[in-house]
Amino acid sequence: MSELQAGQGAALNISDAKSTRYRDVIIALIAFVVLALLPMLTSSKFLLDFVIRCSAYGLFATSLNLLVGYTGLTSFGHGMFFGLGAYGYGLIMQKTGVPIPVAFVATLLITFVFATVIGAICVRLKEIYFAFVTLAFQMLIHSTILSWVSFTGGDQGLRGGIPRPPFLGIDLSNHLHLYIFSCALLVIGLLLMRQIAQSPFGYTLRMIRDNATRASFVGIDVYRAKLTIFVLAALFASVGGMIMALFVSGAYPEFAYWTISGEGIFINMLGGVTTFLGPMVGTVLLLILNDTVTRLTEYHGIVLGIVILFFAIGLRKGLMDFVFEWYAQRRDAARERG
Amino acid sequence: MTRTRKPGISRRTTLALMGGGVASLAAPWVASAQAKTIKIGMPTILSGRVAQLGTSSRNGVMIEVEKVNASGGLAGRQIEMVIRDSKGQPQEAARVARELVNTDGCELLIDAEASSGAFAVHEVARDLGVFCIHTNSETSSLTADPKQHIPNAFRTARQGVHDSIAGGNYAAAIAKAKGLKKWATCGPDYAYGRDTTGEYTTYLKRFAPDVEIISESWPKLFQPDYTEVVTKILQAKPQALYTCLWGGDLTSYIDQANIYALFSQMEVFAVNMADYTALTVVKNLPKGIHSGNRYIKTYPGTPENAAWGDAYKAKYGEYPTNWSWENATAIMLMAEAARKANSADGKKLAEAMKGLKIKSPFGADGTVTMRAEDNTLVGYAIGWGTTIPQEPYVPDVKPGDWKMIFELEAEWKKSKGFT
Repeated sequence: MSELQAGQGAALNISDAKSTRYRDVIIALIAFVVLALLPMLTSSKFLLDFVIRCSAYGLFATSLNLLVGYTGLTSFGHGMFFGLGAYGYGLIMQKTGVPIPVAFVATLLITFVFATVIGAICVRLKEIYFAFVTLAFQMLIHSTILSWVSFTGGDQGLRGGIPRPPFLGIDLSNHLHLYIFSCALLVIGLLLMRQIAQSPFGYTLRMIRDNATRASFVGIDVYRAKLTIFVLAALFASVGGMIMALFVSGAYPEFAYWTISGEGIFINMLGGVTTFLGPMVGTVLLLILNDTVTRLTEYHGIVLGIVILFFAIGLRKGLMDFVFEWYAQRRDAARERG
Repeated sequence: MTRTRKPGISRRTTLALMGGGVASLAAPWVASAQAKTIKIGMPTILSGRVAQLGTSSRNGVMIEVEKVNASGGLAGRQIEMVIRDSKGQPQEAARVARELVNTDGCELLIDAEASSGAFAVHEVARDLGVFCIHTNSETSSLTADPKQHIPNAFRTARQGVHDSIAGGNYAAAIAKAKGLKKWATCGPDYAYGRDTTGEYTTYLKRFAPDVEIISESWPKLFQPDYTEVVTKILQAKPQALYTCLWGGDLTSYIDQANIYALFSQMEVFAVNMADYTALTVVKNLPKGIHSGNRYIKTYPGTPENAAWGDAYKAKYGEYPTNWSWENATAIMLMAEAARKANSADGKKLAEAMKGLKIKSPFGADGTVTMRAEDNTLVGYAIGWGTTIPQEPYVPDVKPGDWKMIFELEAEWKKSKGFT
């Protein structure tokens, strides 16, 4: 199971945690500045669209990795929170006309309630049972969206556009503003998730993943820890959904369908689950692959299928796992030589 | 031994993937705008269960684009179509549409998406202000709802409410003549199925008030087995059945209902039967199914329509679909609008398009019109007839009355709060 263990390389003392946190913040700031400067270097709207989509999917996939890689909870229904985020935000904006930050917080509250209820039921279960019950809840939410036509618009989705009133000088109907806003959410989201992963709580999660029985003997409330991370991951997925709703100016039942969860799992396979940034790399890879392949051929299914096979059977791990192992091997070799 | 090669593979893979990434990001700059040709972007569905929607839309577009290009192009500019698959996902449709405009330099859009994809592309058109024609979405609210209205978007597809009025009127006449009072309905369980069935029965009851719906079935979209639905309908013993199943769903339904001899026990009204995608696929097409025309080359029974259908078949080896004519009409209208405006500029095209009336093989009276008030196509051939098992499949089509359709459509719009 070594390929399913996250944070191996980051086995550090808690005393180092403070300096690591500063380092993370600095890396996040640099990343944000680089992303924010990007529009000055290129006028390509395509690139900006690409980064916006990366933000949505990246937050979603990284939050899924908190469950899959760090806690060993393979959720097949994580997409429901992506959908909830998109619908929650879209509906609040369309029906009430409150300022965007209010709608954001309200959507997070809604997601919190849903995730707590669903999580309370799901995290009692293990492995395949957990996976299938999460999938069942996802289908429940998807079916509700489809059937509740008067409220959600059914399979036509939320039509007529989502209003984007300016707030605090930020006008999200301006493409550049939307881009910076998405980048900020991405960087803040990743930074927060990184802090969760590196905190004592994060190490508790790894312990639960490796041996839940031992964890509970040590005195950890396994159920509560699992529920907490389930809800936290749902909140980040929900932010991803909100970015997507802002990007397409609508919400569609496909956002809450199992295929979105499947894409999340695929991104994690592609990028690798042992490093924190693996899912982010996977997101960039999948979106590049998707965009290039659909541009070149309509038989994209075959190409993407072959890529999945290559990673699943050929590499048997994600790209970042591979890079990390390769780097560790070189470092060890250099140490031996030196 | 193979393990020792691990780092090598990794480096090479990494480089290859990075190379792929760089290439994909660089591609936009390679595709610079060419002044002389005009690019038209077309997001559509080319994979999955409804891939035929995309392929026959593409065929319909290409057959007309070739004609326009041969006669000098759109206001002197040759058309280059950029057609891309959205996989039937609205977020992909939106992404592809944005990419087509922002990266590939497409100046005009043909949105050949179905259902929710069309609304996603509509938002892109609103956002970017790009000229856009919706060619496949029949959902009435796309153009009827003033909240959806934008001056740069048009529709050349049928509209659900038109079909329901014409169909309800036709069915009511037969219901009265034959005394059909007990009806059953069977529609696919999604917005199109629910809305169309609802609108149809509303108009049926309006024209024939003593009609009663005694059984409703809502099979899932793309359901493979209809035994349950067929037996449920047979047990209810209706005198007539209305169904808006389409494509593969309709043909499997008919094949399975044939086993129970359903078609000899009641009158069947299948709005989507008279399309070659259904007519040519059913194993034993029963005689006497009532159907609305989707596309058949014998209705309108003009030489122009027959010639168009035959030319299409000669070129692509199959008959056109409903989607084919809707997409072909988009190009025909664009060409005429460009002639009128003497420009291929999106804004000028949109102005010229409003209220534009053109000669068309698919028109009820040989013409179709882009209605100015709501940017949607009217005057297209709409009618109902009964099937026979061989060509021409639906020999005698009774034309719908557009005057009546307009009156009732206005009333419907009012009832929905659209006007």
